[in-house]
Amino acid sequence: MANKEIDVGQVNIEDIHWLMDILQSIDVGLIVLDRSYKVMAWNSFMENHSGVNATLIKDKVLFDVFPSVPREWFRQKAESVFLLKSSNFTVWEQRPYLFKFKNYRPITGSAQYMYQNITLAPLASVTGEINHIGVLIYDVTDIAVSKLKLEKANIELESLSETDFLTQLNNRGAWEQNLQAEFNRSKRSGHNCSVVMFDIDHFKNVNDCYGHPAGDEVIKRTAELLRETMRLTDIAGRYGGEEFGVILVDTTAEDSMIFTERLRKRIEAEVVRYAEDEIQFTVSLGVAELTEDCDDYKLWLERSDKALYVCKESGRNQSRMYLHSD
Amino acid sequence: MTTNILICDDSSFARKQMARALPKQWDVELNFAANGAEALELIRKGKGEILFLDLNMPVLDGYQTLEVILKEDLPAITIVVSGDIQDEAVQRVKRLGALDFIKKPVDVELVTQVLKQYGINIEEIDNAEETTEDLAERLEVDLDDSYQELANVAMGRAADLLARLLGAFVVMPIPCVKHIEISELEMAMQFIKSNDSISAVCQGFIGSGVAGEAMLIFDDASYEDIAELMKYDGEITETAQLELLMDIASVLCGACLNGIADQLDMKFSIGHPMVLGQHIHFDDILKGASTQWNELLSIEMGYKIENRNVNCNLLLLITEDSIDTLNKRVIDLFA
Repeated sequence: MANKEIDVGQVNIEDIHWLMDILQSIDVGLIVLDRSYKVMAWNSFMENHSGVNATLIKDKVLFDVFPSVPREWFRQKAESVFLLKSSNFTVWEQRPYLFKFKNYRPITGSAQYMYQNITLAPLASVTGEINHIGVLIYDVTDIAVSKLKLEKANIELESLSETDFLTQLNNRGAWEQNLQAEFNRSKRSGHNCSVVMFDIDHFKNVNDCYGHPAGDEVIKRTAELLRETMRLTDIAGRYGGEEFGVILVDTTAEDSMIFTERLRKRIEAEVVRYAEDEIQFTVSLGVAELTEDCDDYKLWLERSDKALYVCKESGRNQSRMYLHSD
Repeated sequence: MTTNILICDDSSFARKQMARALPKQWDVELNFAANGAEALELIRKGKGEILFLDLNMPVLDGYQTLEVILKEDLPAITIVVSGDIQDEAVQRVKRLGALDFIKKPVDVELVTQVLKQYGINIEEIDNAEETTEDLAERLEVDLDDSYQELANVAMGRAADLLARLLGAFVVMPIPCVKHIEISELEMAMQFIKSNDSISAVCQGFIGSGVAGEAMLIFDDASYEDIAELMKYDGEITETAQLELLMDIASVLCGACLNGIADQLDMKFSIGHPMVLGQHIHFDDILKGASTQWNELLSIEMGYKIENRNVNCNLLLLITEDSIDTLNKRVIDLFA
């Protein structure tokens, strides 16, 4: 019996030996902290990346050796692990790193430092109490860098593109460039030119009642009706969510009103079918002709917006010209 | 004299588990109810002298049932048997006159102990035509009911942690279990509307032949109240929101998955959480997904914080190839 116990003991020690070995060589940072944040274990990954030896940091408070570790933040997470006996995870998007380590690939890597995901795990004692926590530090630099690059590329692509994805009209940037160009042209040539701003009345209700996909369908249909109503030379754009702009070249405000009223009536008569719903909606439109006193395209646009605002104030589903008194 | 026992629970699985936990040859008449309203009817007929009452039920829940019993002074000694194990839940039912509170899953020895403690006669007879044990074994159990009950217990554990993290009472509706095609997922959601602005975090899990993902879907309108509850001062920036989201996801996903695994005597490896997106819509979550699975087992668990504008949903999605294994484990529990 006694012999057997010794045998078991020896096997355990051997087991622990290679278990320790693999914990040492694993390419993940491993730290064990006690209740007062003293370091109990510190593996090779931590030694090599931080330059601090396990023997040196053993029994020292983590924050004393690494003042750059955000103490309050870390403690808040750790305390919840002790209290709830449940792991806490953080991702690099929250905080790029806990320890400022160099990039693992200092030559070919593009990041300055190592992005880290962190797990704080409760470690139970023999009696089931949580007196220690394990901190796992994962190097996620490559993932983070790719994601950041992708996000940047998407933003660039978006701004490079001139077409609004949903409506296939000009997007806001492209349309405003057109507006500026038409402004300059009309100023030089002295030709009439008007701008129309319009939006869908109570669009939020459409989204709330029928859902976003239905709302998208309404926006798409509005753009189609707009395209069918306008002339080839007119320039239409999606200005924002449910807001559209149209530049009517060689057109006075009075003539623009013929266009806006025609569009308004077509939209009023339209029924969009989505899933099992039949959705009816209306628009309000503001018209501003470019006049001599207007010396900035932004002011011009603002005037059409003011006219639109008056429509909204006076009951919607109508179009109005900008008046100086507005 | 034969005592009338009433087991009130909406889940056929939970009713069977409770019936099995009773003394095996107890001299009693066993009655069952699927909600509080049914229970009250039976109590009024004298069929519920001792009532084992679940809290989380449709039609009339456990709290409401206790209120009626108290108000009308009905002859029922009530022991609450619940997956909602928040301290506050225990306090509330005791204030409403419940004798004691037994946590789910029910511990057989604890039931006998509680009965003895309150001096309830648990004398066994051996000449009964049908023992409580025979009757319990005869009860039919519905598989989806079992999943709902497993989820309910797991959800209760997670709610308890969340309650302690936030220092608030967590209201948990009945979990929603569905077998669906992935394309129907959005439509199938009970607690999430397609036009809600949400933030989502997911964690993969695998083990014992079962794999899937746990997703925390957080209504963006909830941040202000969550920040207050977690005593987060300062501006609620995008990063601050992510902090709060991750803290809640850590607690809920882990507790719920471990809760399911424990009940089924399984072990899961749980992956590091991944942010699926902030301020997105539910349909954005699956946009980039190229899942090979058509069918999924989906368990949706809604959490709300009492008197607060906080809505978060924990969604467990389990792959088609796990379902057989899972079904076998669940059937083993009640077979």
